[in-house]
Amino acid sequence: EIQLQDTPLNFDFKGYMIAKAHTVNQALDAAIALRDPHKIHQAMRYSLLAGGKRVRPVLCIAACELVGGTEATAIPAACAVEMIHTMSLIHDDLPCMDNDDLRRGKPTNHKVYGEDVAVLAGDALLAFAFEHVAASTEGVSPSRVVRAIGELAKSIGTEGLVAGQVVDIDSEGVANVGLETLEFIHVHKTAALLEAAVVLGAIVGGGSDEEVEKLRKFARCIGLLFQVVDDILDVTKSSEELGKTAGKDLVADKVTYPKLLGIDKSKEFAQELLKDAKEQLSGFDPPKAAPLFALTNYIAYRQN
Amino acid sequence: TAASSPSSVSTRSKAAGFDLKTYWANLMVQINQKLDEAIPVQFPPQIYEAMRYSVLAKGAKRAPPVMCISACELFGGSRLAAFPTACALEMVHAASLIHDDLPCMDDSPSRRGQPSNHTIYGVDMAILAGDALFPLGFRHIVSQTPSDLVPESHLLRVIAEIARSVGSTGMAAGQFLDLEGGPNAVGFIQEKKFGEMGESSAVCGGFLAGAEDDEIERLRRYGRAVGVLYAVVDDIIEERLKVEGDGDRKNKGKSYAEVYGVEKAIEKAEELRAKAKEELDGFEKHGERVFPLYSFVDYAFDRSFSVDDASG
Repeated sequence: EIQLQDTPLNFDFKGYMIAKAHTVNQALDAAIALRDPHKIHQAMRYSLLAGGKRVRPVLCIAACELVGGTEATAIPAACAVEMIHTMSLIHDDLPCMDNDDLRRGKPTNHKVYGEDVAVLAGDALLAFAFEHVAASTEGVSPSRVVRAIGELAKSIGTEGLVAGQVVDIDSEGVANVGLETLEFIHVHKTAALLEAAVVLGAIVGGGSDEEVEKLRKFARCIGLLFQVVDDILDVTKSSEELGKTAGKDLVADKVTYPKLLGIDKSKEFAQELLKDAKEQLSGFDPPKAAPLFALTNYIAYRQN
Repeated sequence: TAASSPSSVSTRSKAAGFDLKTYWANLMVQINQKLDEAIPVQFPPQIYEAMRYSVLAKGAKRAPPVMCISACELFGGSRLAAFPTACALEMVHAASLIHDDLPCMDDSPSRRGQPSNHTIYGVDMAILAGDALFPLGFRHIVSQTPSDLVPESHLLRVIAEIARSVGSTGMAAGQFLDLEGGPNAVGFIQEKKFGEMGESSAVCGGFLAGAEDDEIERLRRYGRAVGVLYAVVDDIIEERLKVEGDGDRKNKGKSYAEVYGVEKAIEKAEELRAKAKEELDGFEKHGERVFPLYSFVDYAFDRSFSVDDASG
């Protein structure tokens, strides 16, 4: 039962996503040219330009525009967040980590370029993300750009992504992983970078401290929501519907929300997060907030 | 050199009397303390321990941070302005080394005389420790640099510079070519793996102190020359040990002295020393503040003292 009542009826979400993703893809393509040594840059481009919905960069642009900034202002930050997301996937897929052969329907980076190049391509994407924000953000005061870089760095290190991955690795095969640990993993592994995407957009867009903090809370809610919905889909949908192996979490003996709470309670939790997320948006000008309302609904009600 | 003016000759001879050993030792104590404080163990502890293991390794000479601080002080910048960036250079440097040592890369069981990171913490933690040290370096610069000493616009140049130097055309490119090998690759590898680090260390110091563009370019050439000089001399020392039957170099074809011979390597080192000093002649107006950078060149060439002893 899809409810889009918060989004103005005339808002074309699909068209919005396609247009923004197109802009982002072009910017990513231009940001990383095929330079010497070719193979590293090819490897970086292979994973970065492999498609995907570009949810993070679109969130960054939407947050920037919501507080009065322009799309162009947010593009370097939006690209940086996608570069970080991509590098974490490349390193996550490595044989010594999750050992995945396929990603978005294509062979994983190390399968194509070798493990050594995959490690380096990830490192290079990480470094370039920072260079890109620092050197290519235009029309924003240096103090705001520095603040954005601090937020980005925080979201991917030991207080963000990496912390989530470490606790995730630790909890594999452990029988009694509790709700607190599960939430720690998701808040750090998934929500932290979504938070960075939104907060970076709000900062470079010129948002007030109050606006930035409201949007931070919003992003934390949709980050966790993203994962709860993922867990629910894994047990309720077929592989065909998902476009990836269903029940993978069960087979891998991974702890999930449905496993800890049951399906009904998990769905209730998702509804709560959805409500909390929208509450944070309620103070903003409705037409300007339409993209973020629609993205929230999309994350909550997506079928794959 | 013949091209040097009389005054630069006198600067050079005065610089020869500079006590680099004490200067370096003092800085090293402070840098080590700041690095220790920069990575407190929190939850989840093993990742912080893995990061600390490599960053606080005993055998680290702290050459990049010392060069960064010397370059900042050259233009009258405060040491306090440079410490966070100096520490960040060590963090990103450690991250690169941890990843270089991985089984799928150089497969090195040891680093700086102790077991490499992944042999202690596992390959997965070693990858994540590296992934966490890069952003920690940037975060450290942003959160710790005193805002009354360095304007934010300078910090942005520092961040872009460090990111560039470790990225796909810098140190990552060097490591890639190191793995690929190929004829005549050694010169390029040393430019990228060691030259970039020296270059970015010197240039960041200049940015922090607000140096002019032409001075930055001078520091760029100076730092690159010293970085490569350091590596070439390391190669010569190792090659000589090998001749004495004591060496154990598995990186075949990656040593300048091995590929071109010791004679040629010494010539190259002398060339680099002259080049580095020539660049410094352009900083004469800064008086004796240029002495640390001068003595650094001589140290890189003749290794007249042991930095490990200096740190006491």
